[in-house]
Amino acid sequence: MFLEWKTNYFKNLNLFVPLLTLMIIIIGFIVLSSAVEINNPEQGGMNLIYRQLTAAVLGLGFIFLMQFIDYRKLKYFHITFYVLTIGLLVYILFSAEQIGGARRWLSWGWFRFQPSEFAKIFVVLFLASYLEKKEDELQTLKGFLKPFILISVPFVLILLQNDLGTALILLFIFLAMLFVAGANRKMLLVFIGALLLITVLIIVSQLFLEVQVPFLQEYQINRLLIFINPGIDPQGSGYNVIQSLIAVGSGGFSGKGWFAGTQNQLNFLPEKHTDFIFAVFGEEFGFIGVSVLLILYFFLLSQFINIALEIKDKYGKLIITGIASMFFFHIFENIGMSMGLMPITGIPLPFLSYGGSSMVAFLIGIGLIINVNIHRKKLGF
Amino acid sequence: MNKRLKIFRYIMIMLMLILFLRAGYLQLVQGEYYRKLSEGNRTSYRPINAPRGKIYSYFEEEENPREYLMAANKMAYSIYILPQEVPEQLEVTGLINRLVEICDLEFDNEPESPRESLYYNYRVNRKRNIEAMGSVFTSFPVLIKRNISPENMLLIKENQERLPGLTVEDYPARDYNYNDLAAHVLGYVGEVNKEELRNDEGQNYRVGDYTGKTGLEATYETYLRGTGGMEQIEINNRGEKIQTLGTRPPESGYDLVLNIDLELQKKTEKLLEDHIELLREQRQKEEQEDDESGSFLTGAAVILMEPDTGALKALTSYPSFDLNLFARGISAGNYEELISNPQRPFLNRTTTPYPAGSVFKLVTGTAAIEELGVRGETKFVDENGLFYIPGWSRPFKNWHPVGEGEIDFTRAIARSNNIVFYELGYDLYQNFGGEKLIEYSRRYGFGELTGVDLPYESRGQIPDHRWKMQTRGEGWYPGDSVNLAIGQGGLLVTPLQLLNMVSVVANRGKIYRPRLVNRVLDQDGSILEQWEPEVITELDVGKEAFEILEEGMIDTTEKDYGTGSGYFSDLSYKVAGKTGTAQTAVEGENHGWFVGYAPASDPEVAFVVFLENGASSANTLPLVGDILTEYFSEAETINEEKSITENHREYNIERSIGTNLSREGPPALLADILRDMDSKFSAE
Repeated sequence: MFLEWKTNYFKNLNLFVPLLTLMIIIIGFIVLSSAVEINNPEQGGMNLIYRQLTAAVLGLGFIFLMQFIDYRKLKYFHITFYVLTIGLLVYILFSAEQIGGARRWLSWGWFRFQPSEFAKIFVVLFLASYLEKKEDELQTLKGFLKPFILISVPFVLILLQNDLGTALILLFIFLAMLFVAGANRKMLLVFIGALLLITVLIIVSQLFLEVQVPFLQEYQINRLLIFINPGIDPQGSGYNVIQSLIAVGSGGFSGKGWFAGTQNQLNFLPEKHTDFIFAVFGEEFGFIGVSVLLILYFFLLSQFINIALEIKDKYGKLIITGIASMFFFHIFENIGMSMGLMPITGIPLPFLSYGGSSMVAFLIGIGLIINVNIHRKKLGF
Repeated sequence: MNKRLKIFRYIMIMLMLILFLRAGYLQLVQGEYYRKLSEGNRTSYRPINAPRGKIYSYFEEEENPREYLMAANKMAYSIYILPQEVPEQLEVTGLINRLVEICDLEFDNEPESPRESLYYNYRVNRKRNIEAMGSVFTSFPVLIKRNISPENMLLIKENQERLPGLTVEDYPARDYNYNDLAAHVLGYVGEVNKEELRNDEGQNYRVGDYTGKTGLEATYETYLRGTGGMEQIEINNRGEKIQTLGTRPPESGYDLVLNIDLELQKKTEKLLEDHIELLREQRQKEEQEDDESGSFLTGAAVILMEPDTGALKALTSYPSFDLNLFARGISAGNYEELISNPQRPFLNRTTTPYPAGSVFKLVTGTAAIEELGVRGETKFVDENGLFYIPGWSRPFKNWHPVGEGEIDFTRAIARSNNIVFYELGYDLYQNFGGEKLIEYSRRYGFGELTGVDLPYESRGQIPDHRWKMQTRGEGWYPGDSVNLAIGQGGLLVTPLQLLNMVSVVANRGKIYRPRLVNRVLDQDGSILEQWEPEVITELDVGKEAFEILEEGMIDTTEKDYGTGSGYFSDLSYKVAGKTGTAQTAVEGENHGWFVGYAPASDPEVAFVVFLENGASSANTLPLVGDILTEYFSEAETINEEKSITENHREYNIERSIGTNLSREGPPALLADILRDMDSKFSAE
């Protein structure tokens, strides 16, 4: 039977995962209400809240339905996931709507979504089954290079969409999974070192020699430069960071209170309900709020790892590693960017940023974790 | 594997800890600094004014737009008060007192003193800022005066230390390339008035802002205006700028590209002026004894249009006025002079109603052909130049004092014979009642707006039973129909309506909406809206009727006996035209009309020439001849004004963000400021 349901599933369930997820989602709606100014009816913010709510309900539905399939059966579809990912990315490249210099949207009538949000999950599933049996092979240079070649295809396709943020996440997921799968430590360190060197070279060549860098748009390079020095920005995008810093910093210890963030009202703070929602959160809920949010995120991620440690199945461990690294990089990059620690990229904060596609994709990620969790074979009896 | 998972968890813990520490540093250590910034104690705002959209005459997309520029912007300055930064012991009133001592500012509203005007502007605009932001603590700059001269700007800069809380910002002021060219098309801008402020629909005006008052500037105000930007800056406790915290760049207004042909417009205006001068000289010579030529030729209007699209190629009303007088704030003296000029230069004569006279015979002719079965060969008799309505003793006279004998309908048009048209008017009255001819007038678009994209267009007036009862207190008599048949007796039409009328004949029945704007361009120069010719109505009249009328109109210009003969027979194409000399309702000489189109075989251009109190239609003929020669001359004309365009100091939006002459550091030296201004202007 492909579909099955066993009563011991619920006994296996790590209750922290759904509970923490729900708590963060609730925090998300609290911040979003303020960011879209639902207290200001002319803004039409309520509309966005309803849409976000629809996405959340849809995602929770997915989580439930997913549990009828044992994740191990997905193992046999890894080629399908790879082809599906590449197909989706190629399709976007030729037909998606262009928004703000990047092709990221697909529209089918009223239905509009960002395929790259889902592509990340497909990549995790593909890599998990590919790397599962490769611990020995990964010690050799040839075995080490093979997955790089495989991942470079979706990576380049995402770069061609001008979506630097997603490409970086893909890279981080890949490295984390490679590490956990048992890749040679030296080779991994050399590779990471080389990456850093290339990044520095790109910035230096752009800064001093004005060399055109392949794959990167001018605004993306500007964002990198701004990250180094917000004052030099020629086009005004460096002000985003300053505005975000003012918002977070002015929150102080206890925050200005819900709907009381003054930095929002002038609308100098850009993308405040999507990319910079953390700035709104930090301003209104202060250091206390930020601490609570960070702790919740950390507990959630820690539960992921706990589940991975409890199981024997390598495939399951790798899936969890992939999902956890995806969540983690989103959180670190988004919050880091809002506090001037990371360069600006347009990637959402899980369960807080407005956006249906990412809400559904993150919930599917949670669904996968739960699936691995409840279908486990108990260790040690 | 589990070991590596645990290492992975440690890495996440470490990185999360970095976020935590960073939040602590920003919110706890630096929290006080950022709080002050966000509460405005250390921040200030500088407005960035949006340039008004440019206006171009018609050009093909591959051509260089700069050569067709009619209206752009040039650098001017505005004064703002920063309410939070005015020292308490000084107060806004004290600040304004000092400002008035330092420089001499001009205001439209003379009776109030500059001090009163400035304070009034401050109060109103402060209130509007508070309303817009929903907070009395808003520190947005308050506009108190637009458009100050560079001299005043320098005076303020030099005395900046005495004027804390006051700032001068760049302001792109309207600038017209050709002063009085096409003044009634473009229209002028002026300070927003109280009523416009009250009816402000989301435009967010401030007292002292400029807005389109007439012409296209008014019609397309929402397109041209643009949206102002804002810069948020960090200041120290002396109010000096430390750094820019954020910018909302201004959005300049959309540009208009007109249907107007720049060269044709220039030529038309030049020819019209020369012609009027010549006529006035002639008149003065004739009437040397009683020197009363003041009431002769008080104004004029000329319009050229593509009859089969409605595109207006040239439109001028005489006398004109200098648009640039308004752009920088007209002085009270200049304004008084213009407003009290008896020739009323502000009046757009192309959309103002006047008696039509004989040009209206085309309408009577259409009705006669359709309803009475009249044809070109239909014979009429004019025995003695007099027409009697049966039972009435007073005759209606022809303009020609002797009878013209037997005369067919085509010739009656060419001769503009009143007797024939009196008879037709009377027959229409007898057979169908007085309403018939009135109905035909309405179908031709009289008594209705043409829908041209200009403000304050007049509907004109069609005399009918109700009008007669209201004005004279009596009913519609046969004599009224007879009078209306030759375009007299209460009928008032605008030159533009007559242009539509004659285009109907050229188009064989279609009426297009006359249109000045061809397309609207966005900030990138790509087309936002493109105009398509629009048929308003199509007259339900057989083609034959228009052919008969056209034959008469060609004979008007071609045949020796035609009322428009003598100026068109040498041309390589035929001109269809109709003359009109209209008696004025008020005192003054007759108006002269000439309407028509050319070439008659395949009309490219329809025209109307109107000479207000121009005595006779004959006076219009040489002018029309010259304009048509100009229109159809193939020769490439040298663009004399080109150098003006190129040297034109155009205001640039990027520049306005970059080089605000705001209060950075110690007061700048005069020489520095001059150099700064110089580089702004020469950089173009």
